[in-house]
Amino acid sequence: MSESRGKGKFVRYYCTAGNGMEPFLTDEVKRKLAAENVCQMPGKVLFSSTEAIDKIIKLKAAERLFLLLKHDSPVRLPAHASPGKAASVLQSTLLGDRNQWTSAVMTWSRLKGELADKQITVDASSLVRDEISEREERRGSAEQMGEEERAHVETGKSAGEQREEESKTRRLKSADERDAHTLEKKRKKEMVQRVDEFSSDEDKGQVLKKKMKMVVDGTEDNEEQAKSNREEDKALLQPSKIKPGFTSSDPVTFRISCKCTGSLSRCFSSTQEVNKVIGLGLGRLLGWKTDLKNPQLEVNVYLSDDHCLLGIPLTRLPLANRSYIKTTGLRATVAWAMASLAQIQPGFCVVDPMCGVGTILMEAAQENKGAFFLGVDIDDRQLQKASENIKFAEVGNRIHLLKASSMMLPLPSASVDAVVCDLPFGRKFGNKANMAANLPVIVTEMERVLCVGGTLVLLLSPQLSFVLKKLLAQKQDTGPTSNLGTKDETGKQDCMSPSLSTKKQQTVQIHQGVKSSPTQETDTETGLHLRLPPAISSLKHQATLRVSLGAIDGLIHKYVKSDVR
Amino acid sequence: MKLLTHNMLMSHVKGVTKGYPLLIKATEVKVNEVEFNPQFVSRMIPKVEWSALVKAAEELGHRQDLPAELLADYEKNEEFLKKVHKVLLEVEVIEGCLQCPESGREFPITKGIPNMLLNEDEV
Repeated sequence: MSESRGKGKFVRYYCTAGNGMEPFLTDEVKRKLAAENVCQMPGKVLFSSTEAIDKIIKLKAAERLFLLLKHDSPVRLPAHASPGKAASVLQSTLLGDRNQWTSAVMTWSRLKGELADKQITVDASSLVRDEISEREERRGSAEQMGEEERAHVETGKSAGEQREEESKTRRLKSADERDAHTLEKKRKKEMVQRVDEFSSDEDKGQVLKKKMKMVVDGTEDNEEQAKSNREEDKALLQPSKIKPGFTSSDPVTFRISCKCTGSLSRCFSSTQEVNKVIGLGLGRLLGWKTDLKNPQLEVNVYLSDDHCLLGIPLTRLPLANRSYIKTTGLRATVAWAMASLAQIQPGFCVVDPMCGVGTILMEAAQENKGAFFLGVDIDDRQLQKASENIKFAEVGNRIHLLKASSMMLPLPSASVDAVVCDLPFGRKFGNKANMAANLPVIVTEMERVLCVGGTLVLLLSPQLSFVLKKLLAQKQDTGPTSNLGTKDETGKQDCMSPSLSTKKQQTVQIHQGVKSSPTQETDTETGLHLRLPPAISSLKHQATLRVSLGAIDGLIHKYVKSDVR
Repeated sequence: MKLLTHNMLMSHVKGVTKGYPLLIKATEVKVNEVEFNPQFVSRMIPKVEWSALVKAAEELGHRQDLPAELLADYEKNEEFLKKVHKVLLEVEVIEGCLQCPESGREFPITKGIPNMLLNEDEV
């Protein structure tokens, strides 16, 4: 699994990623970590890297980071295997060699130690502060979530689960609340599954009585568990507390967390059953001790018809939780992906005409220190939050803000190198009908301010994506003469024309020659004065990518402004 | 509002053909020290409308001795870049307004954020 080389040993990791984010993550690990043996699968990217762990946790497209224990072909059970047979097959295929486990745990422990060294100084103050308010927060969120989670789990299909989890997690403000929520949720889910099992499978009364008892016990010590979880977190931060566990006579405590789909899931009565089978096997193999409440390490197991994957999480919070963002708007990973599609170069001027709290610009500015970003929004409260975010991240010299309408940007034509925008479509902002109606004007305005060769990256709802495709196809097909005859189809275009023509009549400076490259610092003041031709779209479609935004999907469109003349 | 942003802004009030550059009427100006990044400044200079920048700096009393014409080989001139850096990024209008040179329409600047929103009858 590992071999020596230059800066360190190769360590094999995997990251989870939101739906549609996998290609971005694959690209990122190759580019930033010089990763090898990169393997992309739905929801995950596997890779090997020699880079230091503190560099790896800076990945932007990933959700969570794991140390990879095993990646193999799917577990196949003989037809009509008895539960006992199934259990033994599972154990013998998954667990394998004892040494593999101990060496993996040593690696895990080393990485955790390296991480703690880096984090302990940063976290020390926040830990103390958190402790005080934490109890109340936990109690509050636990009660609040109860109902919601139950409903969720009952209808929950494993595919949708992760997404919903993400979106719910996002709503919560502080990292601590988020954490409490996830743990709480996990427990609740387990409970509900146990109950489900009870009602569906009447034969196993004996076993289930025991399980029900566990459920009851579980509900009673909420508070205690919250506390012990926090202690666990602290223990994880202090390598000195972990290491003895692996070297002295104290057995390692662990818990299995399994996601099981496909044919295998039908051989076992529940996920808990699988957890138990693997847990027992591992305990026997290594002498480790199961501890569901407060384990030293968690082993995540994914079993599907396509593969089996085992790993140990390396960070408590998802990597997608950005330390530098105070108020989150759009999912940070998606915002980052949009910025990376814009291919921002040093010296670029990048505009977000509906910047909201500035998430896309924040992600872009973290990655591109040599570019200038202008955030525009029409809402004072959003601008206020954006302003706080910018201050918090100390990027105020590169991100500036402006109040204006996206339908009338106070910028000269062809003055901007890239436009990035999450077109609001949720319940949170405006309404859909309005946005669809305004889309032609908004996109024309973006097109106007972009210089030739400039990039436009938009995030749209599926509906808006359809509207935009239709709109631009129409413009390209029919061209400038289309205004003459047709009514319904080109209606939108007709109402656009007045505002368009007034704008286009202004003589504007166009920087000739596509984008002044750094070497080509010629005097651009002497650009041509010219009239732009009427409404044929100069936006050339480059790509459409579907990404999950939690409850719904969004579509990222990428265009490059071409020279239409 | 920093002068780098001002340099890009333009008035689109109905009927206006030359809404650039906007006049600055400041009631509160701050100078915040910002980390000097010579590469960033020299990349930004070609994007900047030089005469408008000099004029804006002049209006705010921070022109220093910036020349009316852009120097030829500014990339290597650190002293010059530092001056431009100061004018572009350190001088900030906190309160005041921007005025359209043609229509006279005023755009307020509040807490450092210019409000360029137009009324419906101005579009």
